[in-house]
Amino acid sequence: MSNPSFQPARVEISNLRKEFGAKVALNGVSLVVEPGTFTVLLGPSGSGKTTLLRCLAGIEQPTSGTITIGDKVVFAPGKVVTPDKRDLSMVFQDYALWPHMTVRKNIGFPLATSTLAKAARATRVDDLLERVGIAHLADRYPNELSGGEQQRVALARALCAQVGLVLFDEPLSNLDADRRDQLRIEIATLTRDAGVTAVYITHDQSEAFALADRVGVLRQGELVQYTRPEKIYRHPKSAFVARFTGVSGEFPVSRVREISDKRVEVELPFAPGTLLEATKSENSAYDQDPHLFVRAAGVTLVPATAEHGTPGVIRDVAYNGRGYEHVVDVGEKASLTKVYSAERFDRGDNVKVVFDPQSCFVMNAQEEA
Amino acid sequence: MSVSTFSPARVARFRRVRWSGLAVWIVLLLLIVIPVLTFVLVAISPRLFSQGSSYFTLSNISAAFSGYTGQGILDSLWVSTLVGTFAVTFATIIAWTVQRTNVYGRRFWAATMWLLLLVPTWMTTLGWIDVVQPGELASALGVHTLFFYHMFFGASGIVFVLTTAALPFSYFVISVGMRGLGSEFEDAARVHGAGRLLTIRTVLPIIAPALLSAFAISFAESMSDFGVAFTLGSSSHFPIATYTLFNAIYAFPANFPVAAVIAAVLILSTVPPVFLQARVMRGRSYAVLSGRTKAVRRHHFGPVARVGVTAALGLFMFFVLGLPLLGAVTSSFTNSASFITSTGVHWTFESYRQVFNTLPSFSSLGPPLLTSNELGLFVATGTLILAFVLAKRLASRTAGFSQRVIDVFLLGSIAIPGIVLGVGYIFFYDQRFLTTHVIDLYETMPLLIMGLIASSVPSQARLLTGPVAQIQSSLNEAARVHGATKWRAFRSTSLPLLSRALVWAWLLTFTKTISELAIAQILYQPGHEPASVVIETYLGTIFAAIGSAATVITLVEMLGVIGVVLLVFRLVTPKGWRRIGEAGAPS
Repeated sequence: MSNPSFQPARVEISNLRKEFGAKVALNGVSLVVEPGTFTVLLGPSGSGKTTLLRCLAGIEQPTSGTITIGDKVVFAPGKVVTPDKRDLSMVFQDYALWPHMTVRKNIGFPLATSTLAKAARATRVDDLLERVGIAHLADRYPNELSGGEQQRVALARALCAQVGLVLFDEPLSNLDADRRDQLRIEIATLTRDAGVTAVYITHDQSEAFALADRVGVLRQGELVQYTRPEKIYRHPKSAFVARFTGVSGEFPVSRVREISDKRVEVELPFAPGTLLEATKSENSAYDQDPHLFVRAAGVTLVPATAEHGTPGVIRDVAYNGRGYEHVVDVGEKASLTKVYSAERFDRGDNVKVVFDPQSCFVMNAQEEA
Repeated sequence: MSVSTFSPARVARFRRVRWSGLAVWIVLLLLIVIPVLTFVLVAISPRLFSQGSSYFTLSNISAAFSGYTGQGILDSLWVSTLVGTFAVTFATIIAWTVQRTNVYGRRFWAATMWLLLLVPTWMTTLGWIDVVQPGELASALGVHTLFFYHMFFGASGIVFVLTTAALPFSYFVISVGMRGLGSEFEDAARVHGAGRLLTIRTVLPIIAPALLSAFAISFAESMSDFGVAFTLGSSSHFPIATYTLFNAIYAFPANFPVAAVIAAVLILSTVPPVFLQARVMRGRSYAVLSGRTKAVRRHHFGPVARVGVTAALGLFMFFVLGLPLLGAVTSSFTNSASFITSTGVHWTFESYRQVFNTLPSFSSLGPPLLTSNELGLFVATGTLILAFVLAKRLASRTAGFSQRVIDVFLLGSIAIPGIVLGVGYIFFYDQRFLTTHVIDLYETMPLLIMGLIASSVPSQARLLTGPVAQIQSSLNEAARVHGATKWRAFRSTSLPLLSRALVWAWLLTFTKTISELAIAQILYQPGHEPASVVIETYLGTIFAAIGSAATVITLVEMLGVIGVVLLVFRLVTPKGWRRIGEAGAPS
């Protein structure tokens, strides 16, 4: 690596607040990103994830709070470090490639002010061109490239800077599904190979789970959960987190009975007398309007003749290449979606649904977070 | 109240925004608002400025609307309405032909429109006089022109010249609209059963904002034009408002209150159409109708029709541009009252020799042309800086109240005629409290520069807003987060992307300054007349041929500067800079 002082940065955000006039975009966000890790901030539109990233980059100025990158406080009351002095780089949603510069010049831009010798800079750019697989496009202009190629240039430019922190602003949102999957893998590989700390924002939960060491879920300017992706999947902190990270179905519960520290038994209104075992999600209550949230991975389809299971009828079926995804009606206005089965059940077939307690949670439907 | 409300960063930002906004407003107040308002105020309160006995009176309004001046206002209104209608009609036909058909020489016709834009109305008028005047070009070609000569010195001549002057403005606005009008709109109409006529009726409303915008600009240009009024209006006995305003000030005794009423009418009459088109567009640019608009599909004429349409276009352009230029050129090569005599046509370079010699009571062209170029340099540079600052504010993502006010203000200011600004300047900057206690700018070059900047800034700021707004903020942000300082980010990202627009804005202002007549005529520093003023003094005298030679030299010099600047731009800028805005490259 040509920058011997390069170190992955630790990022600490404390009680960050950002107001746009009367609108509060960020409200008391605090989080720590450990050096060399890949953190994904996940949230719907308007949740504040872009604002948070832009505050980190120095493009937006927070209203209050502190931001520390590495050992440098880059924002605090009375102190603002400009973006060029924050030692970070960024991959933009719209790529932000300069149309008047060739691919080579775009990638080499961050090195223009470095102390590296000219030859070393050229070597570094060539190396990155090779690594992202666009060496043959070096002398082209951005408008002569496809979307995927442009995003590769943006990625190479961000890595060329050899800084401790790389920010990603929904870099895959403008790409089609095939290119998205391919580039997601490349981003994960190249970023981890470079050893940098990465903060990545997206609204796509599958992208978040695929990339992240840690996931932060944002809602209305607040960080509602920040932990490992497995934990978010298995122990969503709130109904919002469960819904946003993907559920196959959500049903009101007519009765809940605690059966152990981690488990409860629930009765659903459309299946009176049938008791289902479910998990109590950590730190979340089920004392007001409890609902059962079911992850797609926690549902198995069996033939109607099976001994156990909740009866249902197949409403729709779709082939996804490796098996079938079904929509199953399990009661009046109650259905499960994306129910996977290697075996095809046709529309109108009677089936039984078996729930895995580990992937079923009981939580209050309406929560503050 | 939370502590964060008073965070130092916020306070610093608040201060920065306030001060920069305040500075912009102070400049705009001194350049445009105060001089114009002061002048207009004289209409109802003449005594406040020692121009009458009443502190409040409406008598000047009734005086301005009666007799000669009233006729001038009425004439200006109907002439401008007619000009707007004609200009939009012809511009639509030409824009469609150039943008949407396979007519030959499409780039050439677009360049011709630029040339038409650069030629001031007084040059066109004088060129036409050189054509139709008995004994001049038309006579030399054996065409009897007495009928046309009489027609030209009247309403029809004024409407004709003003239409040719307004044509490029309409053309550029409508062209942009047509370029943005992808063929999918026509396709959608056709596949849903619309015939050719219904398709046109369906698609036309999509470019209605562009048509309305073109009409508004043509109307405003026509209302505020001084060149035609000064050259034709004076001798045709057909009064129009800008000339009656000029007369009111230069009559003895000067009648500033009536002139102020005419000025107010000129401003107010141009504001409604300009605001109407702004309202129709509701802040949208007519340049962008759809992010998914496909490349336009051209109508393909057959070989014969293609040649025929090209010839018709060529004939039209020769008529509106070629003929008056030819008139001026041929006139400049004669040195007698008559172009033809019984012994034939007499060609001579005498006028070109004499134009650089000082004649009794007349300046030579050399020093005034130098003065004009110096003015052009200062005015174009000053305008570019101020217009860029304003365009940045107008294009800001977070448009606040101040931006909206500036937007409306600039829109309204475009409609302020140069003559109103000029008179406003001599009126305000000659006030005793200013000349004795603050600064005496009256009859100085800086005042003329200020006036010319004031007249150029509104249109240039709005013209630059489009290109500035097109630069996505992420391009600059990307430079900043990748280590560029503010200046380097601007220099390496925004400047290259804007370079072509900035160069053209500079050139347009430069050439317009050289050919500007209204403000120059009123504010020039005695002994330092600009070329346009000197040329005017030649024309209408026995030295008219020298005036024609001076006109040709000035025009050639303007085109020369454009050529040199564009050549330098081509030679000194990297290839990537020049790709922006070229066909097939991002614009």
